[in-house]
Amino acid sequence: MAKHHVTTTINGETVEFLCDTKQSLLDVLRNQLYMTGTKEGCATGDCGACTVNMDGTIVCSCLVLGVEAEGKSIQTIEGMAKGSELHPLQQKFLEHAALQCGICTPGVLVAAKALLERNPDPTEEEVRYWLAGNLCRCTGYNKIVEAVLDAARVMRGASNA
Amino acid sequence: MLKKTEEPVKDLKVVGTRPIRPDGVPKVTGHAQYGADYYLPGMLWGKILRSPHAHARIRSIDTSKAQALPGVKAVMVGSDLPEQKFDYLGPDRVQVNFWHMTRNIMAREKALYVGHAVAAVAATTPEIAAEAIKLIEVDYEVLPHVIDVDEAMAEDAPLLFEDMITRGVNPSPTKPSNIARRAEFKIGDVEAGFAQADEIVEMSFKTSPVHQGYIEPHACLARFGADGQCEIWSSSQGHFMVRGYTAKILGIPVNNLVVHPAEIGGGFGGKTVVYVEPIAATLSRKSGLPVKIVMTREEVFLATGPTAGSSMTVRMGVKRDGKIVAADGVFKFQAGAFPGSPVMNGCMCAFSVYDLENARAVGYDVVSNRPKSAAYRAPGSPIVAFAVESVVDELARRIGMDPLELRLRNAVKVGSPTIWGPKHGHGGFRETIEALMNHPEYKKPLGPNQGRGVASGFWFNGAGESAVTIHVGEDGSVSIASGSMDVGGSRASMAIMAAETLGIPYEKVRSTVANTASIGYNHVTGGSRVTYATGMAVVQACERIIEDLRTRAAMMWDVNVDDVIWEDGCAKPANPSVGDFKPLTLAEIAAKRAVTGGPIAAEVAINAGGQAPGFSTQFCDVEVDPETGAVKILRFVAAQDVGRAIHPSYVEGQIQGGVTQGIGWALNETYVYNSKGEMENAGFLDYRMPVASDLPMIEAVIVEVPNPNHPYGVKGAGEVNIVPVTAAVANAIRSATGVRLTSLPMSPPVVLQALESESASV
Amino acid sequence: MSETVPVKVVLNGAFRPWTEGGETFEIHAGTLKGVLRELDRLYPGLGEVLEEDTAVAIDGVIHEIVYTQKLNPGSEIYFIPKIESG
Repeated sequence: MAKHHVTTTINGETVEFLCDTKQSLLDVLRNQLYMTGTKEGCATGDCGACTVNMDGTIVCSCLVLGVEAEGKSIQTIEGMAKGSELHPLQQKFLEHAALQCGICTPGVLVAAKALLERNPDPTEEEVRYWLAGNLCRCTGYNKIVEAVLDAARVMRGASNA
Repeated sequence: MLKKTEEPVKDLKVVGTRPIRPDGVPKVTGHAQYGADYYLPGMLWGKILRSPHAHARIRSIDTSKAQALPGVKAVMVGSDLPEQKFDYLGPDRVQVNFWHMTRNIMAREKALYVGHAVAAVAATTPEIAAEAIKLIEVDYEVLPHVIDVDEAMAEDAPLLFEDMITRGVNPSPTKPSNIARRAEFKIGDVEAGFAQADEIVEMSFKTSPVHQGYIEPHACLARFGADGQCEIWSSSQGHFMVRGYTAKILGIPVNNLVVHPAEIGGGFGGKTVVYVEPIAATLSRKSGLPVKIVMTREEVFLATGPTAGSSMTVRMGVKRDGKIVAADGVFKFQAGAFPGSPVMNGCMCAFSVYDLENARAVGYDVVSNRPKSAAYRAPGSPIVAFAVESVVDELARRIGMDPLELRLRNAVKVGSPTIWGPKHGHGGFRETIEALMNHPEYKKPLGPNQGRGVASGFWFNGAGESAVTIHVGEDGSVSIASGSMDVGGSRASMAIMAAETLGIPYEKVRSTVANTASIGYNHVTGGSRVTYATGMAVVQACERIIEDLRTRAAMMWDVNVDDVIWEDGCAKPANPSVGDFKPLTLAEIAAKRAVTGGPIAAEVAINAGGQAPGFSTQFCDVEVDPETGAVKILRFVAAQDVGRAIHPSYVEGQIQGGVTQGIGWALNETYVYNSKGEMENAGFLDYRMPVASDLPMIEAVIVEVPNPNHPYGVKGAGEVNIVPVTAAVANAIRSATGVRLTSLPMSPPVVLQALESESASV
Repeated sequence: MSETVPVKVVLNGAFRPWTEGGETFEIHAGTLKGVLRELDRLYPGLGEVLEEDTAVAIDGVIHEIVYTQKLNPGSEIYFIPKIESG
């Protein structure tokens, strides 16, 4: 069974890969492109650890086929920092201790970034409901929500400067 | 050697601050490597064949078709692992019996639960491996199964082990059963105690097993060479545990195996044992290539240990003035397919916050056809606390006393008796009660369908073996390495304690976790022991380094070492009469290290003791929807005595995380089995853990009653916070609705049915 | 090592198979090793079991079994099963 040739954009770079029909985008990212920042927690789209941003919408990459990436623009956790400059969300997560084991963190950060791009001034409730698709077992979500709200504040301040 | 600090250490500069953790940047940028993130050239993918039956004799296994599939490089079955002697080794509560352990890793005579590993293959792609296991033919003789603990204890229950005779009963029973062990603890005379009571409450409870729910499935990469040397990269709560258990299961010397600690994506006790490592290592040995195994989420639910389910009865008596006079509990725990539930822990913890002269706790460890239970955050204590704290709530109602007041009147302190023998050696419990009594939200009025519940909890906390090395680099910067896996920020805490002891800024200390070949033995990261025991080793190692630095400074100044002090990160003359010497920094002494004796390094290896237990008191406000039975958590305040918070953000994080797990345990989490013993909700959709929108902000109240046995007063913080939660929620539901729920989880259909039958019976 | 103090040692019901009901002992020892040696002398085989399978509470504070653990006069020593962690 011949593989499919896919051309896509990942974190701004053109990437080509071969994949089977049944392979998920998550599988391609991790096991072919060795971009292991995106994690597998359940492979059924329930935990959000595999969240990536595809053409401006957050998706569970375990529910996206590799072939669906053709012609799309994909953002993963690896593209969030600019060189050595962390995104305000990443910085605030560190300051607020919003991670303990860190396995859910890439998915949460990608999801939170998408929220702030469409709603720069969310309420606590809006943050909680937006992140309801990202399971965290360590933190109880407290410090995650505090970090997102603080990053939003910083980003609003920076854009007003 | 250990300095006792009766007074809190004054003027701490680094301890108690909130710096950024050293492993933070790799984790927020996706570069940190967890168990599934390692690759080696030529690597094969392993896949495990699992029993579809809850209980079956394995008559034969034919792997020939799998072996013949192109791309398959190795196949194994249970008999590929050496046989282990049937012998209970180690402490009663956690008795490790390698005869059981090897059979849990891979079945031999019988499959004892749906999901039990029976064979495995390694192939060049995951797809071929998945194809190959379907070609393995297993001849099963299906047997009747039993899952529920009460059913497993019944006279005519199907037996998992035809020769299991209950231990701990004198004289020994003549008939085999599924009861692996009976334990009993008692003090005083419970019946005499009950005779003094004005009010007696007796209730029975049932709890469902729950999984630790770590987001990262078990994963490892193993490379077994032709010379018998093996390397494993895996995420676990203890790479020395992985080395020890894997070496024993494989029958190889411990130092033939080097385990590299990957970052861990959650453990909570569930990763203090091995599942995939011996299998990956055996497949690697057979194929001559590295083998990687990553469990799916379904496999995690089917085949890894959750905590026990239980059936319990608790009876307690109180006098009108609030003195609890007697407590009696029977606790039956579901161990899963092999013995070893935390029922003894449960018996010991159940009444441990109350100053009682008369108490008894009897526990049964019962096997049944589901995955073998594994540790889960304060193992055993949260289960018994659900029963005990619910009964105490009813006692408070009977005598018309505030539940915090009742706990305060009976609170243990230094010198109070325990059911397991010694008197309490540490306080801290009453301070957690007082913190809530004084809390501004505790007296806040509530609205319709709302209620408030209170509960307390106890956990031993651990200590044990830790080894740490410290060295001062050529430029005076400091590196510390321990063998303690970092689950929640301990690298930062170690660096904080080192910086404080040495008198240097936090940024000058780098903290890492070394592999099993590079450092002395370290016990698992669990039992709330690392900040305490490994922290103690770090401080002792720093003290040795300081001794060494003073000696070198004395050499450089040509004075006596007694004339040199270490202060603010520098060597200084003890007084002006010693001489007019400028302070020497670490960098300056390090520059002269060669002439003063060589590299500046110290290793400390200890078996720490003297730890203090954890006490927690919590209150929770809920609102119950009378139409759906859904319970909404409005407010949760958890007070905990942590001795001293080395890094307050991570201590708060532990409290908030433990409370959240407890909320899931209380309201939704359970294993749903069909009539064939198959788990029907083996995924995160239907094994419903709390999500961000389920919860309010959880308030963590840090209480500090320092432990004089630790240089910085540390008490373990990770576990006790989960203990009171299910009862706090149940007591809040009782307060909101008048209905007492005695089974977990208290999911909407359960609450609704209780509400409806309550109103029907009125 | 030569200086010994009187201590009270308590074994709970879990150790009954060895001690045939005897539970509280007055022992003279300087360190925990001395206590183990004395108990093993009274009940052969018990010393090994205590070393491998227990922790010890000295005046209420829990310690691992370490031979050199020093004892104070009049200390109360309880041997307890080791604790499982999670």
